[in-house]
Amino acid sequence: MPTAQPSNQRDGVDVADPWAAIEACYAKGWTDGLPVVPPTELLVDAMLAAGSWLPDDVLLHEPVRDRAVTAGKAAINAVMAGCLPEYFPVVGAALLAIGDASFMLHGPATSTGGAALMIVVNGPIRARLGLNAKTNLFGPGYRANATIGRSLRLILLNCLDCRPGVLDKSTQGWAGKYSLCFAEDEASSPWEPLHVSRGFTPEQSTVTVYAAESGHNVLSHGTADPEQVLTCFADAMAGLGSLSPGRTVIVFAPEHAGHLRRAGWTRPQTQQWLYDHAWRSLADLKRGGKVEPAFFASPALVDWLYTDAPGGRPAVLPGPDDAGRVLAGDETVHVHRGLGPDDILLTVGGGDAGGHSAFFPSWSRGRSVPFVTKEIFA
Amino acid sequence: MTRILDPTLRSPVEAATVARASRKRSLDGATIGLLANSKSNGMALLDRIVERLRERHQIGEVVRVAKTNASAPVTEGDAQMLAGRCAVVITAIGD
Repeated sequence: MPTAQPSNQRDGVDVADPWAAIEACYAKGWTDGLPVVPPTELLVDAMLAAGSWLPDDVLLHEPVRDRAVTAGKAAINAVMAGCLPEYFPVVGAALLAIGDASFMLHGPATSTGGAALMIVVNGPIRARLGLNAKTNLFGPGYRANATIGRSLRLILLNCLDCRPGVLDKSTQGWAGKYSLCFAEDEASSPWEPLHVSRGFTPEQSTVTVYAAESGHNVLSHGTADPEQVLTCFADAMAGLGSLSPGRTVIVFAPEHAGHLRRAGWTRPQTQQWLYDHAWRSLADLKRGGKVEPAFFASPALVDWLYTDAPGGRPAVLPGPDDAGRVLAGDETVHVHRGLGPDDILLTVGGGDAGGHSAFFPSWSRGRSVPFVTKEIFA
Repeated sequence: MTRILDPTLRSPVEAATVARASRKRSLDGATIGLLANSKSNGMALLDRIVERLRERHQIGEVVRVAKTNASAPVTEGDAQMLAGRCAVVITAIGD
């Protein structure tokens, strides 16, 4: 594991009391707007001791700006976020996940799209830490959920300079950027746990990260028929406002998951059905101004537009001046959300009462970044 | 007194390791590198800047590079090529 430059792990500010410490953190610009726990040496040492890293071990290297976040700096931010020391292995695993080269963190951390960093936790550690997978799992009330996700945001703010208007250029952002961490409700899932579907064992604990736009509540209360229920999800996924060749996360509420379980629907079957039905016509995309002239210069985007076109792609592609003009045949070209069923990640969570699930579009109007799963060593 | 620790990466070590390139006194005859972020209008913005530069300076050749992905760093090969060929490199995002 690489190590950073000779560390400045003990640099800080001397304060008279806890209230002065909280205000000092505000004055230094070290917060997300909410008060932080003052990161005293004692608290930071306890945080570090709960992980398996040395203070100068690099947990996240962001290559575009060549920034290395050490375990020591991560521990300071985790204290500030309000984490208990036993949460630190999860924070570290999440940093390793968002630092995976495939995740290309610079984009979701800075883009106008305003992504939140979603963390889905699987495995035995969920119960040990009291991570909420049930009622109000995206909302307030649980220390582990609130503070593990907040740690990542504070690290982006403090270590990667992703401050609003500086490096974070989110047009609007959303509340999930404070924290978006939850456990999968493995017991309510019709399928193997999410991390098992991604190559881990049930006994392992993992984080799965995703660059998420704000979630859409998908309501369905009046039917238990899988295709009727899933029709509501496919419709949300095909909304012009968020339609893209990017990824999808669906968090099924236990009620909706139960409908799929009782009908015997498998995970791949559900992914395939959603992919097949989450589409808009190319004509619709054009009417909504969603087909940009530059698309036709990108082979990948042309492939996306004409994947499901009767007769294949046209012999002559539109030029820059008529990219948005609706042509004969565009009504029969189906443009799907994503590039295939594997772009749809299915998980389960929420209270036992209520037909309220969630669709989280990926960040970006383009391909976005993949799901990344890493083991938690605790 | 209690010490609270700095959560940022700012340090004298880091500041000292980043040196600015020397500034050019003239752009006359200079090869200009353009590094766009690959978004829709990045190169359009840079081309307009080149037009404006031509109005004021006798600039030389223009070398254009677009990153393959806006979220990724410029490749080492492209960075070396720009550094080797160009007197000045201008980078921009454009969306």
